[in-house]
Amino acid sequence: MLNYLVKRISLTVIVMFTGLLMTDVHAESRSSQEYKVKSAFIYNFTKFIEWPAESFTDDTTINFCIIGDNPFGDDIQTIKGKTVKERELTVRQIKSIEDTGECNILFVSSSEKKNVSAILEQIKEKHILSIADMDGFARRGGIINFIMMNNKIHFEINVKASKLAGIQISSKLLKLAQIIE
Amino acid sequence: MENRLTKFTTILFSTSLIFCLLFLLVHAHADQDQIDLTSLSLEELMNIEVTSVSKKPQKLSDAAAAIFVITQEDIRRSGVTNIMDALRMVPGLEVARIDASIWAISSRGLNGRFSNKLLVLMDGRSIYTPLFSGVYWDMQDTMIEDIDRIEVIRGPGASLWGANAVNGVINIITKRSGETQGGLATAGAGTEEQGFAGFRYGAKAGEHLSYRLYGKYFKRDDAVFASGDKAADQWHAGRGGFRLDWDPGSNDSYTLQGDISDGEAGETAREHFLTPPYSRISNNENDFKGGNILGRWTHTLSESSDLALQVYYDVTKRDNPIIGIKRDTIDIDLQHRVPLAEKHEVIWGLGYRYTKDSIENSDSLIFTPASRDDELFSAFLQADITLVDNRLYLTLGSKFEENDYTGFEVQPSGRIMWTPKEKVSVWSSVSRAVRTPSRAEHDARINQAVLPPGSLYMFSPAAQTALFASDDFESEELIAYETGIRFWPHHYLSMDIAAFYNDYDRMRTFETGSMLCEPSGSTFPACLPTDHVVIPSTADNKMQGETYGVELASDWKILDWWNIRAAYTYLQIQMHLDEDSTDTTSESAEGESPHNQFSLRSSADIGMDVDLDLWVRYVDNLKTQDVDKYITLDARLGWKPVQNLELSLTGQNLLDSQHPEFNPEIVDVIPTEVQRSVYGKITWEF
Repeated sequence: MLNYLVKRISLTVIVMFTGLLMTDVHAESRSSQEYKVKSAFIYNFTKFIEWPAESFTDDTTINFCIIGDNPFGDDIQTIKGKTVKERELTVRQIKSIEDTGECNILFVSSSEKKNVSAILEQIKEKHILSIADMDGFARRGGIINFIMMNNKIHFEINVKASKLAGIQISSKLLKLAQIIE
Repeated sequence: MENRLTKFTTILFSTSLIFCLLFLLVHAHADQDQIDLTSLSLEELMNIEVTSVSKKPQKLSDAAAAIFVITQEDIRRSGVTNIMDALRMVPGLEVARIDASIWAISSRGLNGRFSNKLLVLMDGRSIYTPLFSGVYWDMQDTMIEDIDRIEVIRGPGASLWGANAVNGVINIITKRSGETQGGLATAGAGTEEQGFAGFRYGAKAGEHLSYRLYGKYFKRDDAVFASGDKAADQWHAGRGGFRLDWDPGSNDSYTLQGDISDGEAGETAREHFLTPPYSRISNNENDFKGGNILGRWTHTLSESSDLALQVYYDVTKRDNPIIGIKRDTIDIDLQHRVPLAEKHEVIWGLGYRYTKDSIENSDSLIFTPASRDDELFSAFLQADITLVDNRLYLTLGSKFEENDYTGFEVQPSGRIMWTPKEKVSVWSSVSRAVRTPSRAEHDARINQAVLPPGSLYMFSPAAQTALFASDDFESEELIAYETGIRFWPHHYLSMDIAAFYNDYDRMRTFETGSMLCEPSGSTFPACLPTDHVVIPSTADNKMQGETYGVELASDWKILDWWNIRAAYTYLQIQMHLDEDSTDTTSESAEGESPHNQFSLRSSADIGMDVDLDLWVRYVDNLKTQDVDKYITLDARLGWKPVQNLELSLTGQNLLDSQHPEFNPEIVDVIPTEVQRSVYGKITWEF
């Protein structure tokens, strides 16, 4: 009897799963809340950051680049095309550090954990706002690092690194951040 | 029985129905509650609670081993009130309750109250006792809300962690104090959870120093025997502790933490006497007290190089009519990570542990000597080699240990990981691990059942069966072959499959010896009239065995607000006594673990700040234990009426009024059954 029951449950579960899998397409547009919020943060940051004029290759865009695996998934599309200070936000994924030429913001994915120092060394004086969500990123010379506190997203800013990169961060943003010396 | 099953079916179908309804809701509401997050200010964004799902797969993808991580969110949403119940969600583990405070927990089979092949650490401190090479689960607890995650590695972790990490390592990791700022108060009560309360406060003292303090207390009701009669295994405990994290510069971080605990649990045991009435059932009290303090210094030399030094002192004290024990342990660990050439890495470490116990013997448990101190020296070396960039990695390592029981032990492992493309990783490993003798196997005598006079033959004296330790007892040995695959077909779906084949040698047996007469010491049957007979079984290593199995874990984020996690475990155990073995009990290990286990958890944020969690588990029968298969359902409803306040109602083991899970071995404790329970809880953050 119990055997019969187990079979029945397994069947129910399988049917449920199959049913849900078939609606895959529907689910695909969704992903973790965490990176949705983080992409909204990044969009907000751009409002409080001043890049030197010479850092832009054209007058119309701010280029957001991701190096390594893209943790945002499709969520990054929500900020793509948004206008900040009359510039359009573009999103591109780059394969190698050599391709950062046109990047104004560089998100260093945790998949690049082992290359963080090399990446930061390459871009440190290039007017690029570096962002990541790895322990110690700001300490090692990254400009903004997301941290989790009580399940909420906060961020650290390394002021020295931003100065070195020639990027101005507004005091409003600094007030909300944890400053890393 | 028939009635009960009908009820089972009804409840299960209602569960399925709930799932399906939720599913329909998904379609109806799919796009309604989409807020445009980019329209929010930074302050508003900083107030959104998120759960970190990304950390898990990234961490997992790095490891060529079978790893499962229980997050704080998993713990909170499951409604479990203790660490042991949380472990029930891990594939490959067998978690069973013997009575309210006594547990049998093992990884990949060979379970028992005194199961001895699993290493458990809390924030780097070993909470495994050398007394019987296992864990006193009733003493293991902390502020549940402050646990960051529980990492469970199935299979040998011996090349890093050392002897006794034979079938698994459990790492309970609490949050850094910087992540637990502010106050948190919890309180609740219910049918089995008679009352519990916890308090934590965290703050910053200066720019670089953060700390937290906590205190908690719980009281659990006694369970019932198989007959339905009330047992006497009520359990209550209190504990308090602190953690301090200091990050003075960019390269150093220091942690100091400590806890003290005090608890008491009842148990019902059968006691045996050489005089009438020969055996009696009595209710005993177990008292336990613990304390520990741990300091850790991490120094970053460069991005790919760091140094960590950890020192801790731990004291435990337990007292019951069978044994009184106090144990002090001091442990020092050093670990250094250095880059090797450009793409490789070497981690090496040294460890020293000193442990001293003093035991109060009783008539039924006698340790000789009653006090003993032991030292353990260890070293490990591990090389992480990148064979092909971003594609193929090799990890070679070994632990070298010198212990006071068996001397020098080498435990090497080789692991290889292949990532054919992004989000797919395949790994395989071969490792050797040993389980060194416990203090009990080396030094103890355990007096068990007594046969009244005349049981052996007419006018025979009373006879007692007894387990004897042996100085010649050797380490048990394992060679493990493992393989696994992990893939993330989409960022909302992950699958993890692991398979293993374990080849054991020199496993513990109890060899029946020739009877002797005590206290005179004469040879049986020439006993004196004042003598009784002893039927001895002595520890030896006369069994081999194989276990094999498959474990599957899947995490599926169907929607932003709905997550389903499934786990399945398949396990087979085969034990073979040596031809000259006279053991009569050890082969029963074959039937002491379930062949199949299944767990399905659904976590849904159903809107209006209400969470609904359902958890269905199936556990196969234990053949040699005469424990039936069972299905359980836990359900939790949580509601956040305001930002900092959560009210929740949790029902556990809802499908039956009571069910047995496991029977104890060696010590004659009477098992009790797990009852249906409901409790409510308030959590307030300030």
